[in-house]
Amino acid sequence: MNWDSSLLLLILATSLLPGLVIFFLPEERVALRTTLNMAGAVVKLVLVGVVIWGVLHGHYYESRLPLLPGGLDLVLHADAESVLFVTLSTVLWLVTTVYAIGYLEGSHHRSRFFGFFSLCVTATVGVALAGNMITFLLFYELLTLSTYPLIVHRETEEARQAGRIYLRYTIAGGALLLVGTVWLYDVAGAFEFTHRGVLAGLDDADRTVLTAIFVLLIAGLGVKAALVPLHGWLPRAMVAPAPVSALLHAVAVVKAGAFGIVRVVDDVYGVEFAASLGVTGPLAVVAATTIIYGSLRALFQDNLKRRLAYSTVSQVSYIVLGIAVVGPIATIGGLVHLVHQGVMKITLFFCAGNLAETLGIHKVSDMNGVGRRMPWTMAAFTVGALGMIGVPPLAGFITKWYLGLGALDAGQDWVILVLAGSSLLNAGYFLPVLYAAWFKAPPDAWPAERAYGRSETAWALLLPPVVTALLTLAVGLLASAPFSPLQWARFITTQEYAP
Amino acid sequence: MGASLANTPWGVLVILLPLAGALVCFLWPRRSVPLGLVTALGVVACVAGLGWQVAEQGVQRYAVGGWGAPLGIDLYADGLSLLMLMMTALVGLGISVYSSGYFDRKTATVFWSLWLFLWAALNALFLSADIFNLYVTLELMGLAAVALVALAGGADALIAAMRYLLVSLLGSLFYLLGVALLYHSVGSVDIAILAQQVEPLPAVWAAVGLMSAGLLLKTALFPLHFWLPPAHASAPAPVSALLSALVVKASFYILLRLWLEIFSPGDAAVGQLLGLLGASAVLWGGIQALRQTRLKLLIAYSTVAQLGYLFLAFPLGTSVAWKGALYLLFSHALAKAAMFMSAGNILRCCGHDRIADLDRVARRLPLTLTAFTLAGISSMGLPPSGGFTGKWMLLDAALYSGQWWWALTLILGGLLAAAYVFKVVGYAFTPAEVTHEVSRVPARMEWTALVLALAAVLLGLFTPWPLALLDIGLPFGGGYAG
Amino acid sequence: MNATLSVLLLSVPGLPLLLAFPALRSRLSRPCYLALLPAVILLVVPAAFSIEVPWLLFGTGLGIDGASRWLLAMSVVLWAVAASLLHAPAGQAVDNRLTVFFLLTMAAHLGAILATDVVGFFVTSSLLGYGFYGLLVAGGDAAARRAGRVYLGFMIVADLILFEALLIAAANTGDLDFEAVRHAMAQSPASGWYVSMVLAGFALKAGIWPLHFWLPLTFRSVRPAVALLLGGVPVAIALLGMVRWLPLGEITFPDLGVGIQWLGLAAAIYGTVVGLVQSHPRALLAYAGVVVTSLFIMLLGSGLEESLTGYAIQGAAHLFILYLGITLAALVAGSMLAEKVTARSALLVTGRRMGALLLVLSPMMILFLFWISAGGDPQLADSWMVAVWSWTVCTTLLALRWLYLLRPGQQQEISSPAPMIPPGDLWSILERWFSRGSRWIMSMGLQVLPRWRASVLAVASCLLQVRVWQKALDAGERSLQSWSLAVTLLLLLGIAIALLST
Repeated sequence: MNWDSSLLLLILATSLLPGLVIFFLPEERVALRTTLNMAGAVVKLVLVGVVIWGVLHGHYYESRLPLLPGGLDLVLHADAESVLFVTLSTVLWLVTTVYAIGYLEGSHHRSRFFGFFSLCVTATVGVALAGNMITFLLFYELLTLSTYPLIVHRETEEARQAGRIYLRYTIAGGALLLVGTVWLYDVAGAFEFTHRGVLAGLDDADRTVLTAIFVLLIAGLGVKAALVPLHGWLPRAMVAPAPVSALLHAVAVVKAGAFGIVRVVDDVYGVEFAASLGVTGPLAVVAATTIIYGSLRALFQDNLKRRLAYSTVSQVSYIVLGIAVVGPIATIGGLVHLVHQGVMKITLFFCAGNLAETLGIHKVSDMNGVGRRMPWTMAAFTVGALGMIGVPPLAGFITKWYLGLGALDAGQDWVILVLAGSSLLNAGYFLPVLYAAWFKAPPDAWPAERAYGRSETAWALLLPPVVTALLTLAVGLLASAPFSPLQWARFITTQEYAP
Repeated sequence: MGASLANTPWGVLVILLPLAGALVCFLWPRRSVPLGLVTALGVVACVAGLGWQVAEQGVQRYAVGGWGAPLGIDLYADGLSLLMLMMTALVGLGISVYSSGYFDRKTATVFWSLWLFLWAALNALFLSADIFNLYVTLELMGLAAVALVALAGGADALIAAMRYLLVSLLGSLFYLLGVALLYHSVGSVDIAILAQQVEPLPAVWAAVGLMSAGLLLKTALFPLHFWLPPAHASAPAPVSALLSALVVKASFYILLRLWLEIFSPGDAAVGQLLGLLGASAVLWGGIQALRQTRLKLLIAYSTVAQLGYLFLAFPLGTSVAWKGALYLLFSHALAKAAMFMSAGNILRCCGHDRIADLDRVARRLPLTLTAFTLAGISSMGLPPSGGFTGKWMLLDAALYSGQWWWALTLILGGLLAAAYVFKVVGYAFTPAEVTHEVSRVPARMEWTALVLALAAVLLGLFTPWPLALLDIGLPFGGGYAG
Repeated sequence: MNATLSVLLLSVPGLPLLLAFPALRSRLSRPCYLALLPAVILLVVPAAFSIEVPWLLFGTGLGIDGASRWLLAMSVVLWAVAASLLHAPAGQAVDNRLTVFFLLTMAAHLGAILATDVVGFFVTSSLLGYGFYGLLVAGGDAAARRAGRVYLGFMIVADLILFEALLIAAANTGDLDFEAVRHAMAQSPASGWYVSMVLAGFALKAGIWPLHFWLPLTFRSVRPAVALLLGGVPVAIALLGMVRWLPLGEITFPDLGVGIQWLGLAAAIYGTVVGLVQSHPRALLAYAGVVVTSLFIMLLGSGLEESLTGYAIQGAAHLFILYLGITLAALVAGSMLAEKVTARSALLVTGRRMGALLLVLSPMMILFLFWISAGGDPQLADSWMVAVWSWTVCTTLLALRWLYLLRPGQQQEISSPAPMIPPGDLWSILERWFSRGSRWIMSMGLQVLPRWRASVLAVASCLLQVRVWQKALDAGERSLQSWSLAVTLLLLLGIAIALLST
């Protein structure tokens, strides 16, 4: 067991082991639990840094375990795409852990919560590091299972219903993914994710069968990626506590689905082969429909978290659109949006959580004048919202630039209209919120105010959104600096497309 | 030492030890609990020994008392029997530990002797090499099981036990008729000899029909499953566990043996019929389970559904399909035992098992609920679990042979299982309108359930070894061929 | 030396940006003036140079040359004056929000002047729009908020259009410098789209007729300090954008050019007529602005028609923009002082007359600048001279009306508006349609569609829950439990298997 093969297992273990230990800690051991959480997150970050350095220098990290007959192994492998997603997950997990510690101060069942929280991150990192479809499937389902207890954490009837609907969608999606995977292995034999795909090299594969498998896989992945009409679970899952919504919608579940679609199109089918099959066109149409539909639904929501949920539905499809528009520039746009949407959306959810926790605000109509009471939170929210709209020089602008340019490059001009419409709709549902918060007069009393002394809210609740808002600004402003997500996405794409 | 270990007749020990234990527990009822536990551990050790022996030396065949076939009783241990023995040993150990905390003094004395006797009968069944011996052990097992069902007392249990007795006798009767017909046509009851000498005569066909019908009744395949839910639900929790996990599998094992060895495998029509009935069982059992309001009935119907999966291997007939079905069988045994034990814990804690009134049982019995969920994961076929591996293999076989409708059944069954498992879990997290008195549950009961459920999940991660075990004796042929 | 200059260039937009954070300027007494310091220093440095900032956005740059130096000077003056007006003499604390937006807009404005590539210009002009919105709305009344809403809506649409134009440019060239973009677009097949989009986008931003609606609204309802900036900041930057982005001279669009010239004429007529009926002096100034920009548009049109004119306009435009900014600011200052100071002071009267004269002379001015830029031999058509004279008539009429409105005796009438044409003229009509439409959409989204959805779901759940299913399942299970049926099934099964295995 040399270093290269065990490093990836260690990365998984840094969240699995603390999680398992935390399950058995009594409620009162706050310090120990906090230490375990933070230590796990920091160590994971360090190890991911080692992996990044290694991948840049050509190291090959892989871990294997025989799983099923027929040569199917459980494979963990770190290539450029995995590194992108793993880094995003790890950084945002660290930030969310700090937030969750502050948010759940004094609540019940914190040990249970943080135990499942760690399991959820383990599953996400496993999804990122998966080296073949079966491993991906395994961690994908683990993700479903570990997020369910987080959704029903509040133990109300509403939470139970939301959990039920969540499972209905995700387990059905998992079943579709399973059938697609088994069929794929039947057709292609045991294979692993390879740049430019594997299926193009098959001689005797029936194209109808391959198209059917593609539809099954995308449907299974599309449930988590919230493609219309498989998105119904997402707004309902907002009943979960804010750190859960933040993690689910920025990092774990939704991104796992989108990442899966990226893997299937890029590393299983290969982009050019998929285009020759004729499946990328319909995929682009579905993504575009989701983008517009999600934004439209968001316009009519008064509940802040539901509005953000529909916004997520819309935004994640940018990633799918970037992949479906066949062309290197569009792929860069889609890949980089993986990171950008993560940081922007997590900022927004953190702020929504702050408002709910500190002032009892759940609706947009209660947000009048909140900018005066909680300026830092609302400043972070503003940065996130403007980024979503695509105001330069924030993160969203970079994505829209690459997506639009890629669409022009690939000759798919209609995509630009979709992007423009989406920006307009985003402005329509974000700007009134900002306006109400900054320019309207506050009410006499907030719905349920908690005092925090002189600062606007607990520092553990304030620091994470400010950090992620700064990240939003940084990834946009410094997009051409080395080690920005944009440069990394460019690196990935050079390996995917033939020179 | 190694040589003597290798030469010990572990197979015989595996049968004799629990028999002796049952006798001892009957004679010294006060000490039945520790004696029973020691015996259980001993049996596990013997099975381990037998496993080692088979792995080293290949298929084992003992002639009991020195008399070989066709006159004497032979014991035959290949990979399949070993798998069944291992399953019984693991689940049996779990049940033994669980029961040591479950029963009160009075019931415990009766329980241990009956249970060990049943265990001996099961072990003998799995090692039998001729069809009449199979009948004898099947009957003994059935009678012991009926007695265990009636252990709980009360009108429900007695009615269910009565029905179970009638069904058991009916099934065995049909089986015996079939044995008689076969003996009449071929002249021997030994399986190996039958395999060589059986010919397609009307008597043989009739024997096939009778024996299959009887065994299907005892395995509770749809539509002959009616007796199972009441029997399994009204028994005490450890008894339900052993019934669902072990007893029901015994008749399936016999059917499998006969099918593979004697009746020519790959008989398309019968296979499709069995597959059809299995698919109906999966769907019917799943839907009925979803409708139940009581936890133990839900789990019992879940058993009906899971047993249906096993029959999906018949129309597929390939090595991968058989191994998949057997993997499902093994993980189902572990998972179902864990589920019934969890139900027992909840019953002990809350005094009832109404699902809608579970009232945040997740807080009070976190280990139990985890055990239930993990067992449910294996039942649903979600990775990583033994159920997933079995499901994967069956799906693979179905898609490979182009019979996609079985694949559809597998998927639908998985979705139904998810629905009813998470129905329970959901209610376990939410408060109910009716509160109840809470009693303490002994730790060993919770931990046993959890360990068994974990074993079901771990079975999915360590697959090569059990699969390699099944290859010893090669009753399935190789690869994808029939 | 190079490094110092780079830092200086960067700090011109950078310092106001930093000072916009309340935490960073809480100890400083006059942050608005302090923020202008690097710009002032830059003005006195004689060299023209530019720097590349490759790590910013997609690789952008800042630079200063002769033309932009004049604009920079104008901006410094305007911002300084506005800052002094912001620090109200009555000693009230200035609204924190106002200062934040003030500095943000200042940063964006200075950045736009110094931008050397299209992306940088776009980013800064976009931020300028948002910042200026904040200036319009902060601490204002309902009319100011309405003006701000309209302004923001127009800015967002303009940004979208310009973004598309930017994408077209980026698809045609890798180097996004102004020169490179102009050159590449001149040769690209998509140049028609590009030019139309640039014109449309910047027309929205500059308040050019017929997309001018936000201009009268804002002139009327915002505080004087901000109205001062209107000419020099959003309008000037938008016109600057037009000049920098369009490949004037390198390519011609005869039809488009002619059409735009007619548009300019129409704008002038409209602006004069509507402006003359205004009774509020500052509202009149909005229309004066419309008239002056229409002149610019007419010139642009002729530049698109003929390439030599195009080259000439490139040179003249910067100074004209400067002139426009100063004129409008002076006029606003004049009307503002009139509102504050009731005494009839000779200085004030002279000042106002000077402002009016500036307005009147603006067409001449642009002709003059054009003549210089074209090297003294412009080849002007006769229609040109006609145009200049007619514009001069327009501006004279407006200027006279303005002076009339500001007569000392007229002070009390300023506060009682009752104009015949409402502020925002056509926009009021459009707004009614918009609000009706948005109310309809909101009712659809909030009531009608959810109702449909709920009824569909109710029907579906009805189907699932129908008692018939439940009863059927129960009956089925019970029937299977009866002995007669069970034994029958058993026998049938046996027979079936026996038969099938033959």
